[in-house]
Amino acid sequence: MIFSVASYFVVAAIAPWLVRRLGRNAFLVLAALAVATTGWALTRATSVFDGRPVVESREWIPQQGVSLAFRCDALALLMVFLAAGVGVLVLVYCARYFAADEPGLGAFAGVLVAFAGAMIGLVTTDDLILLYVFWELTTVFSYLLIGHRSEHRGSRRAAMQALTMTTFGGLAMLVGLILLGQTAGTYLLSEILAAPPGGTLVTTAIVLILVGALAKAAIVPFGSWLPAAMAAPTPVSAYLHAAAMVKAGVYLVARLAPGFAELDPWRPIVLIAGCATLLLAGWRALREDDLKRVLAYGTVSQLGLLTAVTGAGNRDAALAGIAMLIAHALFKATLFLVVGVVDHAAGTRDLRRLSGLARTMPITCLAAVVAALSMAGLPPTVGFVAKEAVYEAFLHRGRTDTVVLGVLVAGSALTAAYSLRFVWGAFARKPGVPTTRCEPAGALLLGPALLLGAGCLALGLAAGALDHWISSYADLFPSTGSDYHLALWHGPGIALNLSAAAICVGVVLFLAREPVLRLQSATARIEPSRLYDALVRGVDRSALQLTGTTQRGSMPVYVGVILLSLIAIIAATALGNLPLPFPRSPRWSDSAAQLVVCLLVIGTTLIAAGTRGRLPAVLLVGVTGYGCATLFVLQGAPDLALTQGLVETVSVVVFLLVLRRLPRRFGDTTRPGRRVVHIVLGALTGAVLAGVAVSAFAARTRPPVSRAFAAAAEEAGGKEIVSVLLVDIRAWDTMGEIAVLAVAAIGVTSLIFVRRDRALPRLGDRAPDQPARGPRPVAAETLVPERRTVVFEMVARVVFPTVLVLSLYFLFSGHSTPGGGFAGGITAGLALLVRYLAGGRYELAEAAPLPAGRLLGAGLVIGAGTGLVGLIAGGSALRSTVIDGTLPPFGDVHIATSVFFDIGVYLLVVGLVQDVLSALGAELDRRIEQTRDQDAERTVIV
Amino acid sequence: MSMSTAATATLAVTKVDAPTIEYGKLSPILIIAGVAVVGVLIEAFLPRPARYRAQLTVALVGMIAAFGAVVWLARDLPDDHRGSVTAMGAVAVDGPSLFLQGTLLLIGIASVLLIGERRLEPAGGDAFAPQAAAAPGSQQEKDAAAAGWTQTEVYPLTMFSLVGMLLFPAANDLLMMFVALEILSLPLYLLCGLARRHRLLSQEAALKYFLLGAFSSAFFLFGVAMLYGYSGSVSLDKIGVASAGAMDNDALLLIGLAMVAVGLLFKVGAVPFHSWTPDVYQGAPTPITGFMAAATKVAAFGAMMRFFYVALPGMRWDWRPVMIGVAIVTMVAGAIIAITQTDVKRLLAYSSIAHAGFILTGMIAMSDAGVSSTMFYLVAYGFVTLGAFAVVTLVRDARGEATHLSHWAGLGRRSPLVAGVFALFLLAFAGIPLTSGFSGKFAVFQAAARGGAGSLVVVGVLCSAVAAFFYVRVIVLMFFSEPKVDGPTVVVPSVMTTAAIALGVAVTVVLGILPQPVLDLADKAALFVH
Repeated sequence: MIFSVASYFVVAAIAPWLVRRLGRNAFLVLAALAVATTGWALTRATSVFDGRPVVESREWIPQQGVSLAFRCDALALLMVFLAAGVGVLVLVYCARYFAADEPGLGAFAGVLVAFAGAMIGLVTTDDLILLYVFWELTTVFSYLLIGHRSEHRGSRRAAMQALTMTTFGGLAMLVGLILLGQTAGTYLLSEILAAPPGGTLVTTAIVLILVGALAKAAIVPFGSWLPAAMAAPTPVSAYLHAAAMVKAGVYLVARLAPGFAELDPWRPIVLIAGCATLLLAGWRALREDDLKRVLAYGTVSQLGLLTAVTGAGNRDAALAGIAMLIAHALFKATLFLVVGVVDHAAGTRDLRRLSGLARTMPITCLAAVVAALSMAGLPPTVGFVAKEAVYEAFLHRGRTDTVVLGVLVAGSALTAAYSLRFVWGAFARKPGVPTTRCEPAGALLLGPALLLGAGCLALGLAAGALDHWISSYADLFPSTGSDYHLALWHGPGIALNLSAAAICVGVVLFLAREPVLRLQSATARIEPSRLYDALVRGVDRSALQLTGTTQRGSMPVYVGVILLSLIAIIAATALGNLPLPFPRSPRWSDSAAQLVVCLLVIGTTLIAAGTRGRLPAVLLVGVTGYGCATLFVLQGAPDLALTQGLVETVSVVVFLLVLRRLPRRFGDTTRPGRRVVHIVLGALTGAVLAGVAVSAFAARTRPPVSRAFAAAAEEAGGKEIVSVLLVDIRAWDTMGEIAVLAVAAIGVTSLIFVRRDRALPRLGDRAPDQPARGPRPVAAETLVPERRTVVFEMVARVVFPTVLVLSLYFLFSGHSTPGGGFAGGITAGLALLVRYLAGGRYELAEAAPLPAGRLLGAGLVIGAGTGLVGLIAGGSALRSTVIDGTLPPFGDVHIATSVFFDIGVYLLVVGLVQDVLSALGAELDRRIEQTRDQDAERTVIV
Repeated sequence: MSMSTAATATLAVTKVDAPTIEYGKLSPILIIAGVAVVGVLIEAFLPRPARYRAQLTVALVGMIAAFGAVVWLARDLPDDHRGSVTAMGAVAVDGPSLFLQGTLLLIGIASVLLIGERRLEPAGGDAFAPQAAAAPGSQQEKDAAAAGWTQTEVYPLTMFSLVGMLLFPAANDLLMMFVALEILSLPLYLLCGLARRHRLLSQEAALKYFLLGAFSSAFFLFGVAMLYGYSGSVSLDKIGVASAGAMDNDALLLIGLAMVAVGLLFKVGAVPFHSWTPDVYQGAPTPITGFMAAATKVAAFGAMMRFFYVALPGMRWDWRPVMIGVAIVTMVAGAIIAITQTDVKRLLAYSSIAHAGFILTGMIAMSDAGVSSTMFYLVAYGFVTLGAFAVVTLVRDARGEATHLSHWAGLGRRSPLVAGVFALFLLAFAGIPLTSGFSGKFAVFQAAARGGAGSLVVVGVLCSAVAAFFYVRVIVLMFFSEPKVDGPTVVVPSVMTTAAIALGVAVTVVLGILPQPVLDLADKAALFVH
């Protein structure tokens, strides 16, 4: 079996090549494959029908318990006969149905063959997952087949709809299969059915599997896709929608029924869905004018019948169901092929335009009439045999079955009516319609339809044999006691009367077609395909709304969602763990001053958040920084305060420099309502995180690590903990940080000077013929008079050396008193800043003797060098040594070698500040001037 | 002047031994780090015209060598497949680490092939801005483009990011994990902003990614502090020991857990921390989008699994319900929003969100099968994603990549091969059998069902169905619509992109038809070292 299934895929792969070589006759070659399968099935038939299935298995994905297991029992073999047998005829039919130069025929042929392979695999496999694989393969292939003539918009929609529906069903089924397999502990169908597991999980699983099966069989509420799929070429309809694909759903119901029909939801689902489909689609078929659509709705209706009967779950019903399934495949395939012939010959499928074909196409008409008899359930066809069995299976049982029986009879009446309508529509001569001209059909086109039609008759006559073939499947169900057997003639009885009644009502319905049509248009609102459209539209719209509300590309919204989620998570966690750890006797402040500063900082923060101007915002944020520094002082940490204050100053100045190029106010894009939301969200987040922080401190169980810092600083030969921390204890971190600082400085400036020389402008560049330096301040020559303040310039020049000395003091005293390389560097940077602010960019160039890059580089080299020296001298990198001694002018000195490291930090920080000043200060100055000059020129020209 | 030597100034009073580091065990990471540094040196010292070849060669050779190192380490794993920790317990060298590192390196190789593609732009150059620092539309930019400059820094940046990714799933303590997170993220932020076309969009994407990423990193760090406060250690093992005996009142632990999880969920793009994904995927240069989509997910899920499986197995009853909720919301939102997308890259972004949900499904199983199925899914998903984005780079019109879906109408007629390959990837995303997507989904759903998360499986499959809907819609659009007259053309790429796409196709098909060898491998590699 593995071989024969695989051979389909191999042949499918070479089919395009065959078609290219042989044209449409290649289909005849392809049909040989299906003939071979049918032959194989014939050789196995005797033993299989006697209850000895053919079994074959290979490993595939052992880890997940999936194997290439095949098992061909009576049910499977019958399905193989249908798939392969009808397949042969359809392939032969294809050889004449398509024009020789049909575009894309090669691919079509390949897909059709592959589909046949998948279908045969589906019915013979014994592995749930492999079943799903084939299931999805038939979906995908059918989709390609339906979409073959893809130019039509209708085709496209149909393909889409078919695929969506069946994929949805397929995935639901997958869950069911996994759940079932997991509970049963095996993925082998035969083992599961031999000992069906139970429980809620299994019930869920079975419901999901049923959803998949019903979707595939086009049962209400999933039925809408099948009529839409009729846009496919006729052989595809004949094969997929009569014999093969839609039968997969019924097959699965039939396959599982012996094990699971007793589960609570099983019968209500199959019976209600099946009966509803039978009636709705049957009624709808009476309205259609396109012959193919008449058949399509007829098919849906019959699938409803099949589902209800095969799913009923007793021996007689199973027997009747499978008989009906075979009968349906035969007569529906015949009728589809007939439609193709008619379409081919007359050029239309519209029953309002066809007239008098019975005379011109007698043989076609004969085949159609036999098939229609079978469909309507008249003797001596197999349809009659099956329908009798169906009625019998629901007779003499409970109340439910009687209701179902009523529906089945009503459905049969509808079936009879549309059978008549079909034959009348296709072949009858209609008053007022000219006789349709048509071309004769060839033997290869007619042959398959005739053969299938003959099959309807032959099987009816051979009802006894049919009974034997099906019985080994039907006997899987517990015996009902009566043990019905299929036969062409059971003699008069209730079943026969019901048949007769159904036919009579059907004839009446057909004769009264005008009033029926009027009634139809009144009920036309309830159309499944509209339901589908509405569903798709609804999903589209809700998706659009969801996108519109959550994905507007706005950062505040994104951040808001994240913050909200965070708050929710933390709040939920906290509420679940009450009481939270909280300081037992919280001390709100150490001193009144501290409290005042805190309130000041909080107040400033609030105002900063509310302000609309950029400048005030920056200044206010600066104030919070200074407030923090003040808190450090009050806490007794002047060193931290010093550093914090210096950093704050530099950053405020840098901000101000940049703000010159930005609008003065923040954009007013936020609506007031949203501002309130932002404020609330911000406050909430702050409160929650503050709460977390307080709670976290209270939950502390270990002593703080900083207790040991003082002793460590002493050991390192210093008194200033912060400095020692920076250059000694955490010297590696500082090393990394200054490297980052250098990179950041280079990054900032390289963004400003994209392709310009980064050197600061000097006086000489500006006017090369003038002497470069003179006793007068630089600003006199470079700044416009309004911007000059001579006093400031002079003060800046005078203060400059003093501040530099102060910075050096900070640098060298750092180990013992507040200061250090970082603070020193920033102080020196501030000195540069003052010079720049006083005298502009040329003054900055005067003040800075070295390019910033060199300072940065030197800083890094010295820092790293100290580390290396430590490594060489002391055995570990950045190791520090203390030198005590007397230096004549200064008196006693106490130097740790780590001071050299600090020098590196110092130089680097100076370089950073200078770099930022020259980029954000001097270079921006130049651009502003440039813009102003250009504007001025433009004004002049105007 | 007298001199005296002071003692070594270290914090601890007792002598600290220098850390012993088994460099051999870290060799994959170290090789790539070395490659990245060499890349920087190439930028500094080689003349401009020679850089491209040099960068490409160094990166590819380095990644192949690193992959070799991973294989060598994997062969060295003891028979019970338990790994070991190295670098003083900071890095784990075990099955999951090596499996994911190997995956990452293969994805990296394919990504670098895409990044190195230079045939697609009509005017020459690659997918990146000729000079990233030049303002969009400025004269400088035009000059740089005219001079034929390219930003070959993307190679070292990609390599640095890869270093972080390799380290992320292997990090065995939270600080190392944080460092890895930042190493992988920072270059990515930058790379996202380097697109040659639609530069403002690209820069906006980079800024958004950076800001939101910074937020999530802050949460992560805050969470680490909480966990440290709870357990007195940042080591996952020790947190695991401490949390195993967790009593009722452990808000500190839970809040820490939640905040670290937020950081991780942000990186994998799970709802509600997903909002950056579509904007960034759309704005970033497509090769980078592919790299990011595939590799970041692999790395972040690796880290997430280690975090939950090693540090918090005892807490599963607390975090599992929440994570199940997150997984459900992620799958649902990703699948539903994707329906309305009209841009291919955004569509793939939402699909990646939905897939994050599917992968979470596997992780939540909390079993070896959960680990192995998640890892298998990551392999399958990574290559499909990369391949899909690679195809996106090929469909172009005068304005660059034609990402609007309407441009893709009828592509199947014009270039059946490219459209067919894309259709294959879409079917794999949808989880149709005989593609890697099905094997992956089957594996995670099976693991979840076994782990008792049946509800998750049901939601997962329903979302797959919704997702299938929009994948199918694209296929229908490509094959069943008339091509537009002024539609985009499919540019014939160089052998590099072709190779990357071919790799994607091969993995998709092979993992679909014969998944067993890789499943075996993932199964053997499913044990975290404790």
